Amino acid sequence: MKTAITELLNIEYPIIQGAMAWVADADLASAVSNAGGLGVIGTGHDSVDIVQQKVEDMQSKTDKSFAVNVMLLNPHVEEVVDYLIASGIKIITTGAGNPGKYMARFKEAGISVIPVVASVALAKRMERIGATAVVIEGMEAGGHIGKLTTLTLLPQVVDAVSIPVIAAGGFGDGRSLAAALMLGAQAIQVGTRFVVSNESNAHQNFKQAILNASDIDTVITGQINGHPVRVLRNKLTTQYLQIEKQETGKENPNFDKMEELAKGALRRAVVEGDTESGSMMAGQIAGLIKKEESVQEIILDYVNSAKAVYKERQAFFDN
Amino acid sequence: MVFEKVKEIIVDQLGIEESEVALATDFENDLKADSLDVFQIISEIEDELDITIDTDQNLKTVEDLVNYIESLEA
Repeated sequence: MKTAITELLNIEYPIIQGAMAWVADADLASAVSNAGGLGVIGTGHDSVDIVQQKVEDMQSKTDKSFAVNVMLLNPHVEEVVDYLIASGIKIITTGAGNPGKYMARFKEAGISVIPVVASVALAKRMERIGATAVVIEGMEAGGHIGKLTTLTLLPQVVDAVSIPVIAAGGFGDGRSLAAALMLGAQAIQVGTRFVVSNESNAHQNFKQAILNASDIDTVITGQINGHPVRVLRNKLTTQYLQIEKQETGKENPNFDKMEELAKGALRRAVVEGDTESGSMMAGQIAGLIKKEESVQEIILDYVNSAKAVYKERQAFFDN
Repeated sequence: MVFEKVKEIIVDQLGIEESEVALATDFENDLKADSLDVFQIISEIEDELDITIDTDQNLKTVEDLVNYIESLEA
């Protein structure tokens, strides 16, 4: 397949792997890059030493294009940015904020910068400050989310900017890849389905929870304090949502108890496999994902079924 | 003058009463506006006043925003 994004990023298929915290390591990302997609290393709150280890690990596992995701709220973000520029990284995706401050240096170093955005205004702003492309993320996605759905946000951003748009949130198989291309996207970003790939180091319990999930099994926590996060429903989310409800009615709501519950919860889910009090970030499409496969099988399934559905439905338009 | 314009845009954007917007009003804590709302407000202001606002500025309150815009016009 060939789109503006495959050309720009020098990849075979228009599929980008999401930078899922604790999941997007060099094992997963290199598998995605080696299978023709764009692997992305997540760096979360990592110190620069850890980022360097991850990048070197990645470079030892693939010679294909890959990206590093910079989490802009990382307390070590300045040193991480310095390192990435010095080490010759070619593609950077950014999350949790505005990369404006670093944009001039990224561009000067010839780095393609791809911020994740959740509104038209933000997409236009990112284009103006020099973003190479944007990822629009609908609220179907797992983890930190915005307010719009992918179906509504994608065409509005496509019309508002002239840089390539990558769609994220709700992409579980090739049908949605075909649909995204129809809506004007040049690629999709996949998260949840890669969590359950063979190459993902996510704990087996977390993978199984995704495989067992049905369509209605995710909930949004943190809507009250303005930081909505989509996760699989479990004991943690039930408690969390209860506190949210109780505190919201109060004149001086105390959300400390929620923070207490959430502390380290992501690590508990992904690394320790704690499906009761861990935060299992997953998208609404989890219900569609029924088996663990290799990254290559997953990518080829997206590509082949997108092509098949395109051909199959073509007749609808011809008559 | 700048404050009046900014207030008008915030009121319009968030669907709130004019009385809820003062210089000391904090976007997140007082108006419950999230980052998407703030970017939207900034965008509207840029279009209406034909200016470019650097969002790396720490714009927490209406006053921060007004002061920043006034510094551009000075």
